Amino acid sequence: MYARQGLLMVLLAALLLEVTSLIQYFYAKKGLRKEADSRAQSEMTATRLRIENYTLSVENDARLLSWALSDFLDNPDELPALITKMMDNNPVIANGFVAFKDNYYPQHGRWYEPVVTRLPEGLVLHQIGSQEHDYFSADWYIKPMQTGDGYWSEPYFDKDGVKKLVVTYSVPVNDDSGARVGILGVDVELDWLNVLVSMVKPYKNAFSTLTSRKGQLIAAPPETLSFEKSLRYESDIYRTGWKISVTIPEDELYGHIKKISTLVLFLQILGLMLLILIIQWTAREQIKLENISASREKIEEELKIARGIQMAMIPKVFPPYPERKDIDIYASILPAKEVGGDLYDFYIRDEKLYFCIGDVSGKGVPASLVMAVTRSLFRTVSAHENSPGHIVTSLNESMSEMNENNMFVTFFCGVLDLRNGNLRYCNAGHNAPVILNTDKSILPVEPNVPLGIVPGMKFQEQEIELRYDDAIFLYTDGLTEAENMNHDFFGEQRMLDALSGLKGSRSHLEEMQKAVESYVGHAPQSDDLTMLFIHYLNDDSSSESEKHLLIHNDIQQIPQLAAFVEAIAEKKQLDHSLSLNLNLALEEAVTNVIMYAYPKGTDGLVDIEAIIREHSLTFIVSDSGQPFDPTSQPQADISLGVDDRPIGGLGIYMVRNIMDSVSYRRSDGKNILTMIKNI
Amino acid sequence: MDITIKTQGTETIVTFNGRLDTPAAQQAAAQLEPLQEKAGGTIILDCKDLTYISSSGLRIFLVLRKAASQNGGTVIVRSIGRDIRNVFMMTGFLNLFQIED
Repeated sequence: MYARQGLLMVLLAALLLEVTSLIQYFYAKKGLRKEADSRAQSEMTATRLRIENYTLSVENDARLLSWALSDFLDNPDELPALITKMMDNNPVIANGFVAFKDNYYPQHGRWYEPVVTRLPEGLVLHQIGSQEHDYFSADWYIKPMQTGDGYWSEPYFDKDGVKKLVVTYSVPVNDDSGARVGILGVDVELDWLNVLVSMVKPYKNAFSTLTSRKGQLIAAPPETLSFEKSLRYESDIYRTGWKISVTIPEDELYGHIKKISTLVLFLQILGLMLLILIIQWTAREQIKLENISASREKIEEELKIARGIQMAMIPKVFPPYPERKDIDIYASILPAKEVGGDLYDFYIRDEKLYFCIGDVSGKGVPASLVMAVTRSLFRTVSAHENSPGHIVTSLNESMSEMNENNMFVTFFCGVLDLRNGNLRYCNAGHNAPVILNTDKSILPVEPNVPLGIVPGMKFQEQEIELRYDDAIFLYTDGLTEAENMNHDFFGEQRMLDALSGLKGSRSHLEEMQKAVESYVGHAPQSDDLTMLFIHYLNDDSSSESEKHLLIHNDIQQIPQLAAFVEAIAEKKQLDHSLSLNLNLALEEAVTNVIMYAYPKGTDGLVDIEAIIREHSLTFIVSDSGQPFDPTSQPQADISLGVDDRPIGGLGIYMVRNIMDSVSYRRSDGKNILTMIKNI
Repeated sequence: MDITIKTQGTETIVTFNGRLDTPAAQQAAAQLEPLQEKAGGTIILDCKDLTYISSSGLRIFLVLRKAASQNGGTVIVRSIGRDIRNVFMMTGFLNLFQIED
């Protein structure tokens, strides 16, 4: 389309240029022609006047002489003297002569023609009239005799006199009675005319000629060129019948503008070619631009689809579990670009809520790809793994393996047992969530390193017990680092302030959203912003009770545990074998503390707390001894034969076997072992 | 915890009565230590009245079993109740001992 338009433009431009050039050429030619006309005419006229000047003077001299001669007809010997006198005054005249009519002077015969000829040595008189020189039939004799008027002859070569090309002017000679008795002739040399005529030369190669009545050349340049095309001007010379003409070669006249026209044509072609190039280039650029904008549109379209896919990966229907009274979740994700690197996810498996929040380094498409991978890995790994520590460790392994682009993910993963409020969590370099219980505080987390940085790293998990109405608020740094116009951060304090009052998860997030929006104002969103609010509402926990037992680090106090468990079992009406198992687990846990946490001989206390809920029992064994983590001890392998079986390691094995959840943490100089049994 | 030990020829019968928890196991370990010398014969551990056993108790059983294994003897666990059987199952002890009703 552009090519056709361009071609049309070029053709139009060419047409316009050509028409302009033609008009210009036409007018230039006309002007030159006018100038040539006037120059030729004026030069010709000037020369014509000069020639006429001479011819008139010759005519006048001849008339005067003929008039004077009539007085001397009776004395013919005087005639040559008169002629000589005249010739002395007029150097142009080559010969002066009188030709008398047939037998006018009988003594001189039929032909009498005395001639004075100008020779280098002077004027010489001679008589040439004879039978051989029979002038009675010559023009110059007949015409004046017949008409009585002067006559200019055709030029001829004067072979008798000056031996030059001459022309004769003859006038009749009358006697007293007025009868014509002969003619007086003067021969005029034509050399001087050559000079005059050659001066009529308005252009370098122009030339002029003087021709006689009959077209014989009188004066001409030594050599005349012939031209293919020429302009010709003519002018008659008074009375003589001569014609002066000027020939101007058109080549010379128009050569200049032809040259200019050629140059202009050349420039025009050059210009047109340039125009074609420019048009082609512009067309190509235009097409390129269109391609770019087309591909940009395509990319934007694909980004929209990608966003759709990404958003479909994360749970977005709220409330997610309308049939459940024990949990209320609300989340929001707001990518800074079409697609983002933030993620959150949650789902319930075996009465446990698995949830996570993460932030991939960077933004946009690369981050979104890593986000998708992280989310998929989380689902895959957590499908058969219920320890957040193991989930995070496993994720880190996978992410480190394929991390060729040095992208990392800050990640927080939690597993909340909905039956008993036990929340185990593991952090990988992510912002510590806020825990909202009786207080409002930042959840104590191990900072650790983000996923994808240190392969082989073991991530430790942590634990906290949630009670009825406790909540946990997770977020990405897009919240705390939301910038206002002055590039100040929203910050942790504003975030904590916004989390106030007893509200549902949804209103909490909406409040937070409003707080951030009013803080940020019109500043552009600098990072993806994701929030996840989990509200634990298990009524079961509301009717909970607690039991405490404090013993010394003395094996002999172990039997007290039996009574402690017995009391709980009675209260919860547990069957005997479960009661025994609980007793067993508790004894193993406490024995471990007595044996390993406190060095031999030192006195210490072991605190046993039981949280009794509708559907779960939580035992928390804590001591102030040296750090001892029974969960990190090697597991007994019960498939081994007698001889290979080690003596120890059975205790913690049985604890794990009996309890649904066992976890250890060291906090405030205490070993804290939490064991939960769902009932 | 009461433990009685009766030896008839190469056969020794140990009868447990009560809870074999950690402190009881410490006491029992001392009491049963000489039996390791008789591990070449048959040791019958009568658990009819054993109501509870923790890992410390199991440990005593395992020690005897290892000694028997080394000396070519036999350890028979007799008349275990449902609760003790559960513990044996949990720990894989059912496979280590010859169980008799």
